[in-house]
Amino acid sequence: MTLTVNGKPAAIDGKVELNVTELLSVLKVEQPDYVTVELNGEILERDNFPATVVRDGDAVEFLYFMGGGR
Amino acid sequence: MEKKWDFETLLIHGGLEPGPAGATTVPIVQSSAFAYDSADALEDVFRGRRPGQVYTRIGNPTTESLEKRLTLLEDGIAGIVTASGMAAISTAVLTILRSGDEILSSSSVFGGTFSLFRDTLSSYGIGVRFVDPTDLKAVREGVGERTRLLFVETIGNPKMDVPDIAALAEIAREAKIPLMLDATVTTPWMARGKDLGADLVVHSTSKFINGSGSAIGGAIIDLGRFDWGGEKYPHFAPFVKKFGRFAFTARARKLVHKDLGACAAPMNSFLLAEGIETLALRMERHCSSALRLASFLREHPKVRWVNYPGLPDSPFQDIASRQFGGRYGALLTFGLPDKEAAFRFINALRLARNLANIGDAKTLVIHPASTICCDYTPEEKALMGVTEELVRVSVGIEAPGDIVGDFAQALEQV
Repeated sequence: MTLTVNGKPAAIDGKVELNVTELLSVLKVEQPDYVTVELNGEILERDNFPATVVRDGDAVEFLYFMGGGR
Repeated sequence: MEKKWDFETLLIHGGLEPGPAGATTVPIVQSSAFAYDSADALEDVFRGRRPGQVYTRIGNPTTESLEKRLTLLEDGIAGIVTASGMAAISTAVLTILRSGDEILSSSSVFGGTFSLFRDTLSSYGIGVRFVDPTDLKAVREGVGERTRLLFVETIGNPKMDVPDIAALAEIAREAKIPLMLDATVTTPWMARGKDLGADLVVHSTSKFINGSGSAIGGAIIDLGRFDWGGEKYPHFAPFVKKFGRFAFTARARKLVHKDLGACAAPMNSFLLAEGIETLALRMERHCSSALRLASFLREHPKVRWVNYPGLPDSPFQDIASRQFGGRYGALLTFGLPDKEAAFRFINALRLARNLANIGDAKTLVIHPASTICCDYTPEEKALMGVTEELVRVSVGIEAPGDIVGDFAQALEQV
């Protein structure tokens, strides 16, 4: 499947869908304990990561409160 | 995995990544800014799409390592290390309060905190109401319409009063306001704020966490317990929406800490990370020697009174024993006949150093009324428990017999 991750296309071979916890692992997202995940414009509750499924064509944004600007 | 280690192990290994070439200490990353290979990568960090360092005022790898360790030690969810303990308090308080809001504060807070709340913040429309933190009725009645924070020290410095923190946490919970605990004098070794019911913990890491008086620093630990989505905190709404339980730390990092610029120097973060490794061993000795010195002073004919929560006749012995697991800290105060006697005593000491600090390996003394509290009125000094005959002691980790011996010979000259 192909997702849009942080505004850029990202192909994930051999997968039709993944839950958000798996997605964080597959994409090797840094500091997963701290990241906020936005799926198709909606911010996800952390508790819902395992139950939320990401499919081909979805747009995912990762957001951290550390780092540079606002 | 690190969460499973015991406290003493976390003191040494918590948050520590292997350094370059196998270095076992926290590398000192003495760099103002951090370069990225592409404009896209730096944009991603600025937009918060990926974690990363950009500028040491905002974040630094050495400081981040200390933040992780302190967060693990307090069992919190996130931490911010600052330039000093006062920077930690200023940053934390200004993250929560806006003009028109009010702090409900213990009246026996450290003089610097008292001044920040009463003088500096009031110039910007943030009010304060001081109450005796051991009078739960007064605290409950002190919560007003505008109150947005309950602030208390685990042991009042130098009043040496010990509030019932769990009871204060309950009052804060009922009022839907956070309890911020200044745990500088107890450190997480004596009690973790989370176990006592606090929402946020602040430290002056310059004291026992450093342990040798070699660096100034502070820390704010977010314990992740408070619901910032409540109606009293509308300014947190965008942070709650985006960052959920990290709303406090996000607002602090993205606004107040970044904008005030009270960042830690990487060298200081290194020194603090070195110091904290031996915190448990040092605190054991601090506490046992303080109890020994307090007991000696208690029996000395020239000493009028001794205030140490570990003494059996202290009104705070029960609560301190319960809250701090039978440990009572390094600080004590005692009274001589008058100011002149206190000065003669301090001038006669040979080992203990006369200076404005606590938490050093060295035994330290000061006459608070003429130094750290000299700008306050007699009424304000009384609120803080500071009297003219009072000497404050931060008991060090020298040979206990040498400490007691030094005090004995100095008392002979009073």
